[in-house]
Amino acid sequence: MRARTIQIITLVSILFTGCEEKTTNIDIMHDDGKPVLALDYRDFDQAASTLVQSLLASGALKKEGGGRYVVATGRVVNDTMQRIDTDQLMAKIEEEMLNSGQAVMTSAIGSGEDKLIHDTRKLRDAEEFDQSTTPARGTLIAPELTVSGKIFQRNIRYDKKTQQVEYYFQLKLSDVKSGLRFWQKEIIVGKRGSNKSVAW
Amino acid sequence: MKALTLLFILLIFLATGCYEPYDSRIHVRDEVKSDNIIDNVVTRPVAKAFSALIGEGIEIDEAVLRRNKAGILELYINGHNRAYGTKRFRYRVEWLDADGLVLETKTSVWLQASAMGKSPFSLKAVAPRPEAVNFRMDTRKWE
Repeated sequence: MRARTIQIITLVSILFTGCEEKTTNIDIMHDDGKPVLALDYRDFDQAASTLVQSLLASGALKKEGGGRYVVATGRVVNDTMQRIDTDQLMAKIEEEMLNSGQAVMTSAIGSGEDKLIHDTRKLRDAEEFDQSTTPARGTLIAPELTVSGKIFQRNIRYDKKTQQVEYYFQLKLSDVKSGLRFWQKEIIVGKRGSNKSVAW
Repeated sequence: MKALTLLFILLIFLATGCYEPYDSRIHVRDEVKSDNIIDNVVTRPVAKAFSALIGEGIEIDEAVLRRNKAGILELYINGHNRAYGTKRFRYRVEWLDADGLVLETKTSVWLQASAMGKSPFSLKAVAPRPEAVNFRMDTRKWE
């Protein structure tokens, strides 16, 4: 009787172990994984790539007379039902703008602000710091262009079993001095899936 | 009588062969344009089945590189879809510098593209940096 019970327990344990989903690393370069209804890294990669290519092709970053534009990152609004850190998109775009050799990003102002830049300037009167090593007044460079945008979502009932989720990525580049918009682009990522799936 | 029938068929084929589209830039699709002796409601399903059987897909006609005003290389791919159905695929463009080395960039990701049946299509890619002098492109099935 006891041996029988042990056999059953062993069998049940083996069966349950077989059902467990194995954890695997994603092949980021060639991901054959199924699409998901929510936004995943592939959607951000695709949106960032298309936006950057459009920006570079537009020539809006080409400065008359040479040199590089100083660009500040403005607000990128997340108006989706998901908790998205918009830096996920902007970090890629900023990196490519920098690497293009046509723009430098500022960390002195905007959503990419580095608080330490301002904190370091508060050390001007601190006795503990060598004053020759603190930044002088009037050394920060003001931005010439700002890049800002919005990500928003629309959920549409497609049929009884299917829902359609549309994600819009909008980005614009504006001139600080004149307020004129030099470039803007919208990317749509559309998905259809089961009504039972949750897109947030 | 037999010779007359043959002559009639020959005339129809010749007449069809003489058909020229009004303007090659305008593509009028099946079921929108007028049917003819070769392409009609009877022959179309057979042609579609044959196309699927021999595995027709997309073909690239030309790849044009040009440098834009900002000094950035742009790639224009022109191709056409030989199949009757829409072909959805992914493509990725990698950019090479003067030494033939791949430029590391966030823009070299798999992007989606689709070409409708029996239609031309175009793709455009923009290099991330002025150092790019050449490219290589890969495609894969849109899962």
